[in-house]
Amino acid sequence: MPPFPMLRRRFLCTQTSNLSLFNQKPVGRQWPIKQVTKSNFSDSLHELKNKISDSDFVAVSLQNTGSYSSPWHRLLPFDTAEIAYLKAKYAAERFQILQFSVCPFSVRASNKLTAYPFNFHLFPRDEHKIGMPCYSFSCQPSYLTSMAQEDFDFNVCIYDGISYLSRAQESAAKGQMENPVSSGYVAQSPSSRSVADNVFVERIKSRVGHWISAYVLVNSLRKLILGGEDYGLRPSLNIDVCSERQVQLVFEMVKSGYENVVPLIIPAKGGGAQAVRVVLTSSKEDRDLLEKELQNMEEEQSKRVRGFREVIDLISTSRKPVVAHKSLNDFTFIHSKFLAPLPSTMDEFRSSLHSVFPNILDVNHLMKEIGPLNKYTNVPAAISYLKRNFFAPIEIEIPQKASVEESKNHGHNVVRISELFAKLCFILKIAPETETHNPDGPSTLKCYSNVLNLGSNSFQDSNEDDDISAWTHNPTKISINNLLFLWGFRSGTSARRLKNLLCKSHEKLSEDVFDVRLVDKNCAVVVFWKTGLSEWFLTTIDSGDGELRELAAEGLMAVGYEAYKRVCKSEILGADLADSLAEFDREASEAHTEESAEVYWNNELMINLDDL
Amino acid sequence: MGGKRWVKEAGGIWEGSDGASQSRGHEEVSETVKEDIGMKQHWMVRAISKTLTLIPIPFHSSRASFSSPSSSFALKNVTRSNFELSLADLRRHVRDSDFVSIDLEMTGVTSAPWRESFEFDRFDVRYLKVKDSAEKFAVVQFGVCPFRWDSTKQSFIAHPHNFYIFPRQEVGAYDPSYEFLCQTASIDFLAKYQFDFNLCVKEGISYLSRALEDAARLHLHSTHEDELSESPCTTKEIKDVPLVRMADILFVERMRNKISEWHDDLLQIRNRRSSQIPEDSNDSMNQFQTIFFRMRPAIKLNGFTSRQLRLIKSVIQKSFKDLAYIRVNGASCLEQFIVYTNSRRDLELLMKEVKGDLCKEAEMKIGAAIGFRHVIDLLSSEQKLIVGHNCFLDIAHVCRKFVGPLPSNLEEYVTLVQKNFPYIIDTKILLNASNVLQLKMKKSSTSLSKAFAILCPHIASGVSSSGLAPSSVTVEVQVDDMRSSNWNSGAKHEAGYDAFMTGCIFAQSCSHLNIDFSSHSMLMKEEKLQKYINLLYLSWSCGDIVNIKTGGTTTESSAFNTFKIQPTKILFPNIAIIWGFPSKLKAREIKESLCKVFGLTSVTSIYHLDRTAVFVQFNKSELVSDFLELKSRLEKKNDAISVFHPLSELLEGGNTRAASYEVYKEICGSPISKVLFADQAEAVGINLNTKLLENKVQENGSFANSQSPIDTKTADIKQPLKCTSGSSKFPKGEMLDIVSC
Repeated sequence: MPPFPMLRRRFLCTQTSNLSLFNQKPVGRQWPIKQVTKSNFSDSLHELKNKISDSDFVAVSLQNTGSYSSPWHRLLPFDTAEIAYLKAKYAAERFQILQFSVCPFSVRASNKLTAYPFNFHLFPRDEHKIGMPCYSFSCQPSYLTSMAQEDFDFNVCIYDGISYLSRAQESAAKGQMENPVSSGYVAQSPSSRSVADNVFVERIKSRVGHWISAYVLVNSLRKLILGGEDYGLRPSLNIDVCSERQVQLVFEMVKSGYENVVPLIIPAKGGGAQAVRVVLTSSKEDRDLLEKELQNMEEEQSKRVRGFREVIDLISTSRKPVVAHKSLNDFTFIHSKFLAPLPSTMDEFRSSLHSVFPNILDVNHLMKEIGPLNKYTNVPAAISYLKRNFFAPIEIEIPQKASVEESKNHGHNVVRISELFAKLCFILKIAPETETHNPDGPSTLKCYSNVLNLGSNSFQDSNEDDDISAWTHNPTKISINNLLFLWGFRSGTSARRLKNLLCKSHEKLSEDVFDVRLVDKNCAVVVFWKTGLSEWFLTTIDSGDGELRELAAEGLMAVGYEAYKRVCKSEILGADLADSLAEFDREASEAHTEESAEVYWNNELMINLDDL
Repeated sequence: MGGKRWVKEAGGIWEGSDGASQSRGHEEVSETVKEDIGMKQHWMVRAISKTLTLIPIPFHSSRASFSSPSSSFALKNVTRSNFELSLADLRRHVRDSDFVSIDLEMTGVTSAPWRESFEFDRFDVRYLKVKDSAEKFAVVQFGVCPFRWDSTKQSFIAHPHNFYIFPRQEVGAYDPSYEFLCQTASIDFLAKYQFDFNLCVKEGISYLSRALEDAARLHLHSTHEDELSESPCTTKEIKDVPLVRMADILFVERMRNKISEWHDDLLQIRNRRSSQIPEDSNDSMNQFQTIFFRMRPAIKLNGFTSRQLRLIKSVIQKSFKDLAYIRVNGASCLEQFIVYTNSRRDLELLMKEVKGDLCKEAEMKIGAAIGFRHVIDLLSSEQKLIVGHNCFLDIAHVCRKFVGPLPSNLEEYVTLVQKNFPYIIDTKILLNASNVLQLKMKKSSTSLSKAFAILCPHIASGVSSSGLAPSSVTVEVQVDDMRSSNWNSGAKHEAGYDAFMTGCIFAQSCSHLNIDFSSHSMLMKEEKLQKYINLLYLSWSCGDIVNIKTGGTTTESSAFNTFKIQPTKILFPNIAIIWGFPSKLKAREIKESLCKVFGLTSVTSIYHLDRTAVFVQFNKSELVSDFLELKSRLEKKNDAISVFHPLSELLEGGNTRAASYEVYKEICGSPISKVLFADQAEAVGINLNTKLLENKVQENGSFANSQSPIDTKTADIKQPLKCTSGSSKFPKGEMLDIVSC
């Protein structure tokens, strides 16, 4: 313990600010952030645990290998909550987390932020040779390039990154690990043994009995002759088993017949038991000691298996509110990498996530309280916006020591998220410190919690999912039934030109009843301000020879929102939205013939049956 | 070939040591277990037990450091910063060379375990697997090593180059094909050999395939023409910047005044015919520096924010008909000008000139983005003999990354390769096919480092050339100005060094085959090599060879490979694939239950694809359709009798699916890659469904009368015919099955 801890802290703080002054880096301040890799993981974990329990909130921030494979895979203004989830799921399943920053923090006296930022480097190494946590992952080169520009160290991640297993993977892996297991086996009452069982038990019993008496004899002889003592090593015997039933029988026999013998299961590759190992201990104390050792070993083992997921479990069990910036993206990643595969619907995801993280606060959502801030999608921009427009002085104190050398100091975003959160609380006049002492959790903040931010739209519950606000600058809610997807025009045609084209094609399509936006260079979305028009448009253009003949002749194709939904649900979203829509359109039309074919087939079947 | 070799090694051990300690997988078993995508089970075990030798890996603090005190210098590492210079040198070396050896390191090999190569893979399926690999993974290092015979020195001169490349997109609209997959194990493998990922991402040379270059140029020209066809003033929508802030309004007003002041001055000068240029009257005019832009008086706009520039632009467009707002790419950044034009015609002329410039600039940019492809173009245009070691996948990567999308079948692919690289020789083929070389290799493994150590011990150990066996070929290495005849950087699994080793093996092999390097004929015309040229292993483990010249495929005869067990003849029409069965079932149980139904000898072999799927080879092809029909019938019935049916165990759970071999091919061709085959089949099935039904509709007419599930006799006769003919038509049996899911 240094003699003047406070002094030293202060000194450190000023030092960092001075450094940044001299460096004149665009990033601004360099906060001391604890960098965690394989080598210092277990120490840091312990530290983090203490910091989390001392703090009121935990901020998290992720650095991934990519976020979308094609421009239309991004969240678009006309996406419903469900589609936003499907897109986030698609990304979370493909890309990988390389850095996970965690920052337990508290806000005291309304403007003093005390933060303990940690930055964990991850790599999904298959540490246990069980083909987990992931076989492969995608990378978006533009993402990696911009990370490299920020001096991201890929070598540290790949060489020394911490691996992990998700909860689902851990339970799946249990059978595959070749370590003796003692616990997890529930002895049942000796219920109804068959004759074969009895024979087996008797045979094993006598075998174990002979082995023990022989061992005792040999051992006493050895003592007599050599005069030595045993040290540490315990004798053991392997008993081959061929079923779960036999494992159970051996366990029962040992537990009832021999006090000083401990049975262990030797797992077979790919689940099940290969053998039972019985270990002879010298006394009851020795037995207890062995059992404790085994328990510790198992704990160590499972700790190693969980790896970085310990951090997730720590945050989860602490029940502290988790503060994030793009919560939908971040938590789909967290769910898929550290909990379990992502469920197919938003509702299932929400409830599954809620059971692990009951209290998630999205700063983006808090920002909405202040103004139309769709533009401020990144944290630094949001902070500078607040700085320009509001008075919210927040003093940041990071009372920990870490390297501030720039090339090795990553994970600043998580501190910025904490800062942004503190500023927002200040502006919105929420007092975070009183909030957290409320037994039911923060009550004022409660109304902001668990709203997974969806960029321009956010939904607290999904029953309004048929309405969306189509344009970011024009927040009128419109039904998704009034939307159409249009493709087949020449690549690179402007939205304005398309609109003109449509206007000219039919008198119903006057300038003010609809609008056109491009989704990507081959696909556009049309919104009708009047209901019913979209249905008319679809049926007319589909019939081919109707009033929109000219459009159809130019190769223009249209589908409703339903097709878009189906595309988003599919396994591969496809690089080009127009292609994917066309594919689904084609399949849908074929599905029609399919049904009739089915009927035809059945008829044939019946005729043949009669013939017999 | 880092990634590749990893799977070959660790993957091989995994499969081979089935049941035994699989933890050995990560030990460095050097490369005794050799190179193919994935491994076969039985010969594998033998290969390992025979040649399991642990070669200590020299670990360097940096990959390019020296391993032996004898003359060792780093090979030529090429990144963005020295690419231009190195390319000029390389052009010279390649032109003078007798052959060029290559080697690639990529981010992975197989996108799913079941995409490894299996015994039960037909040629077309093998190609689909390689195609998938080349499409999904990135090349991160490219080794090129030109070898030139110096007859005065009686030695080869080698120039090993190690290019770091990275698929950074430099031009064009966002293209998803740049996204790449990393196989975790391969990345880990590269890390073990100290691969510098930072250097790769930051300094790696980017590239542009020929197909993407064409697309970019086409796009550029079409937009250029578009813009020319529209006259600049009419269609250019004047996007109003909404003046919301007071500051904006004031700024706009101030600018309007300034510009009109300048404008009026200009006109006055013109009218007065004085050569005097209006002098800047006050300080704020410093931002309005009068210059000439394309012989027209202009103001260069300095020090404005982008928002201010937008406001200025709108002022000009609204208030000054004879002024044009022009934006051009300056030396370091965008430069903005306000240009005075004499007339409307002059304005149009100016716009045209500026656009022409922009177009030219864009063309230049596309040219610059070609990057590493210049090296490939060089190898292709020089028509040199390309030497690789087990290089089918390498060549596929070269074609995918630098030429364009890979065709969907092997035949077309072979013509594509032939067109670009007419002479390829694979040292692995050479070593396995030539009896002379087999003898020299003492029947040892033909892995790259093993072969190098055995054939070129004098180079591998770095001893000086004096006192060598007369048959030893000496290779002098030249990197920039440094030369050495006993060079060895020792950095294995670095593409440049691997290419060097490959070249040395080839040179030594030629010498053993009594090829005279001094004769002036070209190596690829050498008669003694004709037996081996343009043959590549489609799968080394199965001995499947494809001839790049003819497109013909053969399976290596066992005479060359004494240690490989010749697999039993595989009849693809006899194969059914079953997946999604209860996980507790193993091959043995499946075989038993099938034999109960179709007879004891009905199942020739069963092979696990992964734990969720098996191939079943029946002794007759009719049994495939019999089985599929029986299965769907049992599933439809769902009554008491079917519970006691011998197949009920297999069908338990209701998720068991089965199909013929052609469906397997279809699934392999899908861009989806799920880790487990059952998941993959289900994911693909969503799309397959309609396709199968489509075929069913077509076939309904044909089998309606003769075939029904009950009338199996006629079906039996018809089925085999269908299985062998064309792959796009699905036999009826499998359709039934897919329909049932």
